[in-house]
Amino acid sequence: MNGFRRRLAVALLTLGASNAVWSQNVPAGDAVNGKRVYLVAGCYTCHGRAGQGGAMNYPAPALAQTQLPVEALKAFVRAGPNDMPAYVESQLSDKDVADIHAFLRSLPGRLPAKNIPLLNQ
Amino acid sequence: MSDHSRDLSGAGRRNFLKGVTLTGAAALTPAVVAQTPPPKNPARVVPLPNLAVETLPPPADPSNQTSSGGDFMVDVLKTLDIDYLAMNCASSFRGLHEAVINYAKNVKPEILTCTHEEIAVAMGQGYAKIEGKPMAMICHGTVGLQHASMAMYNAWCDRVPVYVMIGNIIEADKRAPGVEWVHSAIDPAALVRDFVKWDDQPASLQHFAESAVRAYKVAMTPPMGPVLLSLDAELQENPIPDRERLRIPKFAKVTPPVGDPGALAEAAKMLAAAQNPVLICDRLARTPAGMARLVELAETLQCAVVDQGGRMNFPSRHPLNQTFRRAAVVGEADVILAIEMNDLYGAVNSFSDRIVRATRAIFKPDAKIITLGSRDLYLKSNYQDFGRYAEADLAIAGDGEASLPALTEQIKRLVNAGRKSAFEARGKKLAEAHLATRERAKSDATIGWDASPITTARMCAEIYSQIKDEDWSLVGNGINIAWPRRLWNMDKPYRWNGVSGGAGIGYNAPASAGAALANKRHGRLSVTIQGDGDLMFAPGTLWTAAHHHIPILYVLLNNRAYHQELMYMQAMAARHGRSVENSHIGITITDPNIDYATVAKGFGVYAEGPITDPKNLGPALKRAVAVVKRGEPALVDVVTDPR
Ligand code: HEC
Ligand SMILES: Cc1ncc(C[n+]2csc(CCOP(=O)(O)OP(=O)(O)O)c2C)c(N)n1
Ligand SMILES: [Mg+2]
Repeated sequence: MNGFRRRLAVALLTLGASNAVWSQNVPAGDAVNGKRVYLVAGCYTCHGRAGQGGAMNYPAPALAQTQLPVEALKAFVRAGPNDMPAYVESQLSDKDVADIHAFLRSLPGRLPAKNIPLLNQ
Repeated sequence: MSDHSRDLSGAGRRNFLKGVTLTGAAALTPAVVAQTPPPKNPARVVPLPNLAVETLPPPADPSNQTSSGGDFMVDVLKTLDIDYLAMNCASSFRGLHEAVINYAKNVKPEILTCTHEEIAVAMGQGYAKIEGKPMAMICHGTVGLQHASMAMYNAWCDRVPVYVMIGNIIEADKRAPGVEWVHSAIDPAALVRDFVKWDDQPASLQHFAESAVRAYKVAMTPPMGPVLLSLDAELQENPIPDRERLRIPKFAKVTPPVGDPGALAEAAKMLAAAQNPVLICDRLARTPAGMARLVELAETLQCAVVDQGGRMNFPSRHPLNQTFRRAAVVGEADVILAIEMNDLYGAVNSFSDRIVRATRAIFKPDAKIITLGSRDLYLKSNYQDFGRYAEADLAIAGDGEASLPALTEQIKRLVNAGRKSAFEARGKKLAEAHLATRERAKSDATIGWDASPITTARMCAEIYSQIKDEDWSLVGNGINIAWPRRLWNMDKPYRWNGVSGGAGIGYNAPASAGAALANKRHGRLSVTIQGDGDLMFAPGTLWTAAHHHIPILYVLLNNRAYHQELMYMQAMAARHGRSVENSHIGITITDPNIDYATVAKGFGVYAEGPITDPKNLGPALKRAVAVVKRGEPALVDVVTDPR
């Protein structure tokens, strides 16, 4: 766990929240708009179009099927930990972030690696 | 030689022609003209042996010579076992060039024709890391060296011996008007002196012989690095006045320094007693022996190894390889042995590229750090490639690879049965963590498996599938994507050839070609992962590869951008509260898209692409591999997702 994630976890716990609570409190985003924003805001340049992750000076994590609640995603987007850009609200609204979240949740994500011969050589 | 002998295009040429028209070809020089009686009947000239001419003293402006300084220079280079001379041709070294092609018959050294001086030097860098010895390159001392300089800087940062020579015209009265003046300098090496280990401008052939051997010795002594010799054109071109007095000194390689035995014993004690020792290394494996030595040390200790990848230090699938768990193992370490590390500080601290640029130690405050390497033996001031000062508890000066056997022996002596079983338990845990990391890598690679643009993971899995049954060698990985080390079985010293060193883009294409040239002799299949941006710095490399039949597969990671910079630009725009939407300006390589396959074909290289559908990639790579196995270069342009 890196420093930002640690601080984020503590902050979220103090709020007394849990993943389930957030998922319920936040209206489901629009995945179609989320995909558009994900491309326009350039998330894909580091995290990949399929949310597969990528590499800057160190890895940019995979985001497909993210387990982060939308508030945590927002916290990452606003804080831009380490090398990640920190997006201000005037450039990327809370709604857009929620839509990105819906898009990331809608991505197929991982496949079983054992079914892909090229990954077992 | 006369004042005009260097240039027959001006006044010298006019005088020369006047001589011919007035007196005929048998008697060209003014001295001869004066001595030869005019023929009585010009229509009946019979070319008889002219005793008067043959017994005359040497003419003041002779036309021919029977020996040349360049020939002697070739003799010297031959004693150094230099196989290749990479160059972009230039008149300031036409003397040596002519000696190589006609006196040496273009063998040892054989000339490699390069379309840019940066290519010539970078080829030498890639070649030396595979072959364990330098090739030579030569260029114009001014403009050529300016082109060569960045590649020399890369070699300097990468601690690689490259043997650079330049042509210069030292004496002012020997320079022709015009170009020879702008191509001469009183101290041409000044341009690069901050990043060469040693340079000289010999004033005589004997001086050349000694400096050429010294330069080789200096370049090959760890910490290795580039050297430079400035060769006076007169010295290269003119007759040798005293060949029998010239002596070529013999070359003896300097034995790499081994760390002090007392200090190594102290290190052995600390490592043997540690709960969680960690070995971290960067430019360690200098020869094929390096990897085996590190494996032996790691297996003796059953400890974690973090390979920063400057050389092929440690097998990627060795159970003790914890490279992709660096933060975790460094965080748990009580003793860290850093071997031939360039940036130790960066490896044990985290850094955030933010408004306040902060670093944070990722190692425990009471962890002990031991350094072992030749880095402490030699530094220069101006260029900051030495990185931030890293504190150590024990600093051992010595070549890492040469010092490892003694260290391992000392540790073996300290390990009793009790420690041994503790070590084994530690090793087992690390092996499990290693396996989990590999499973994680495979799972990560499945995301976007069928996507177009093709993911870099899919691309690397497809490459591996085509090469894994060959004796392959990954000679370059432009921006150093992690997938080969995460997915491939890199188990031999030549499986990987390190990085540029100076992060000077334009390295990958030519350095890969140089490494492939070295691999050719060993019958290996060379493959390189080539950035599109990097390729466009020196695309002429492809022609050199075709011309010299260098078997290499270029797999173009074509993200149509200098993508690294695109990511920085987005972070910068966001920091300033502005839209990231303009970030592509000045950074993407689109509109028009470059058709790299057509570019490569134009250089005479087999090429396929652009490939956008992952289904088509495997078959294209297979066809390209077949071309490479026939001994020729090939390029496959793969349109990828950014990284
Ligand atoms: C310039 C590259 C870059 C861009 C653009 C970028 N990110 Fe990131 N992102 C990173 C890096 C690097 C990290 C890892 C930071 C760390 O943990 O130190 C990261 C981490 C994250 C994380 C945390 C993931 C986890 O599981 O730890 C989320 C969520 C995230 N990014 C979302 C986004 C979204 C949404 C966008 C677009 C609005 C975006 N990022 C744009 C580079 C980038
Ligand atoms: C000589 C030089 N110029 C510019 C840079 C800055 N730079 C660093 S990475 C990079 C992009 C390289 O492009 P490419 O090879 O396509 O790799 P990508 O980042 O797209 O993966 C550039 C321009 C550099 N390091 N060296
Ligand atoms: Mg690119």
